[in-house]
Amino acid sequence: MKKRSLRATIFLYAMLIVWAIICVFPFYWLFTTSFKRPLDVNRVPRYIPFVDYQPTMDHWKFLLVDEQAKTWRYFRNSVIAAGLSCVFSVIVGSMAGYGLSRFRYRWSRIGWKNDNIAFWIISQRFLPPAALVIPFILFFNALRLIDTHPGLILAYTAFNLPFAVWIMRDFFNSLPIDLEESARVDGATRWQTFVRIVLPLATPGLVTVALFSFIFAWNEYLFALMLTNFEAITMPVYLAGMKSTKGIEWWYMSALTLIMVAPVLLIGLFLQRYIVRGLSAGAIKG
Amino acid sequence: MANLSTIKPLTPATEDIRESGEDRLFKRVFLSPAVAILLILSIFPLIWSLGVSITDCQRSTQANAGTSTGVASALCLGNPAQFSLSNYGRVPTDERLLNAAKNTLFYVLVGVTIQYVIGFGIAIMLNQEFFGRRFFRLIFMLPMMITPVAAGYAGRMMFDSGISPLAQFQRTIGTFLSNLTGADIKIAIPWLTDTGVAPYTMILIDSWQWIPFMTLLLLAGMQAIPDEVYEAARVDGANTRQLFFRITFPIMLPISLTALLIRSLEMFKLVDIINVVTGGGPGSATESLVMYVFDTALSYGNYGYAAAIGYVLLVMVIAFATAFLAISRRVTTQQLGTSI
Repeated sequence: MKKRSLRATIFLYAMLIVWAIICVFPFYWLFTTSFKRPLDVNRVPRYIPFVDYQPTMDHWKFLLVDEQAKTWRYFRNSVIAAGLSCVFSVIVGSMAGYGLSRFRYRWSRIGWKNDNIAFWIISQRFLPPAALVIPFILFFNALRLIDTHPGLILAYTAFNLPFAVWIMRDFFNSLPIDLEESARVDGATRWQTFVRIVLPLATPGLVTVALFSFIFAWNEYLFALMLTNFEAITMPVYLAGMKSTKGIEWWYMSALTLIMVAPVLLIGLFLQRYIVRGLSAGAIKG
Repeated sequence: MANLSTIKPLTPATEDIRESGEDRLFKRVFLSPAVAILLILSIFPLIWSLGVSITDCQRSTQANAGTSTGVASALCLGNPAQFSLSNYGRVPTDERLLNAAKNTLFYVLVGVTIQYVIGFGIAIMLNQEFFGRRFFRLIFMLPMMITPVAAGYAGRMMFDSGISPLAQFQRTIGTFLSNLTGADIKIAIPWLTDTGVAPYTMILIDSWQWIPFMTLLLLAGMQAIPDEVYEAARVDGANTRQLFFRITFPIMLPISLTALLIRSLEMFKLVDIINVVTGGGPGSATESLVMYVFDTALSYGNYGYAAAIGYVLLVMVIAFATAFLAISRRVTTQQLGTSI
């Protein structure tokens, strides 16, 4: 690298800091708003706690104590829908990924081989879900799956699957085949090899898939809105519906937003490198 | 499921593991669940949706319960319905639909371009060597990790014309300029309430969230360019600008195209942010196609038309992707032809 001039360095840091402020300020604002009294929100912006306004814990107390049952229910719904669909995508996705990586398929009727099948699977990821939503409503209505956890879990598993298969296939392709072969020589069945040898080696890939599936399902809004109406409502739908007759109560909204965002943000920060890996695997080779 | 049963093993190539009977069983076991799920929950609904879109399927209510039987009604699972092509007849004349389609295209073309340009700039910054690089990279990733609905609310608080810091900032600048010039200057950009400005505000909020995605992808691409390439060019006397346009940009072209395509296809699905921030308003200035689909289905219970709009969206997406791939193939070969 060429040595930068002092001027260039100052410019670089200025730009970095400006962009960092743009990235962080909304978070700061959500955080402080959740501690502001309504009066401090609704007149002019107040920036620094204890200096230009007196923070209060009332809103957090209201959500976490007074309305605990309600908050907890929506949070739990989100955890169930996102968690279980994530588990299913990981299982089914890694199986299919392994199959596509290690066996040779040929669907003779349409002349498809492994690459065609893999491409068909990943192409499902880009289908706009809005084009599918009506049959889902009709189908789930008939099966009484509307407003239930299994309904959402099924839908999310289907949405996450293409990505899961794609990433896992990629990952298995990069694993050497020798270990499996020696295990098979020792008399292990395909399934045993897969569960005992291949999956443990594929942990990084599995984490990536689990992470992306969980975050997708956690954030999903359209299908949650269409397929639930009371019992199984997830956090994004609850939050988006928080417009009371008095207008938006920004303080509750901010606190709830933070409650919703916190798990994903924490997971994301701790498992950052898996996110980068997932993005680049999905995109660079895709 | 017909194609599953027709899977036939190939005669194994010599370097392959020999395909035993056990293998023949397991290769089905491994792939079938995924294929079955996708057939049932993706392909089948897609075809079904086409069927529903050529009926006047309505949500069943007390008033129309049990009034209809027959194939169309079966398509609609007991909801009253009759075959009709009126949904597609309505498409070209439905102002709201055309407007929503226009908005969606606007978001895709303008929004993704903005995200790409800024994302590229930030990737270049992060590709320098400086103290605190990991810290800044982490900070820059934050917006991408939050729920779009939350990003929408955060954006709404930022752009509100009364209580937001931005509004106060504008007022302060206005007052300052008034004092400076003596003229009465008021800076009040109606971020959310003006039909001309609101779509741009949607793009700004979406960009805030998704520029990190562009940055990460492009950064990964940039870090893969070996330093020697730059060294060699510098020895030949290339300046910074030439380095960028002759080396960085051409090498980054394939990954740029991928990033653009992925973001565009995601942008076609944009709904959460708009719904939270403006609800499609003012008027229907910010409404996207997906929003129109769910409004038609949920508020009006008009499943048939909602399915038809879904298909309009699908056709747009496919047309866009096809055109994009065709153009990018041509651009890539041209670039490769001239620069390497």
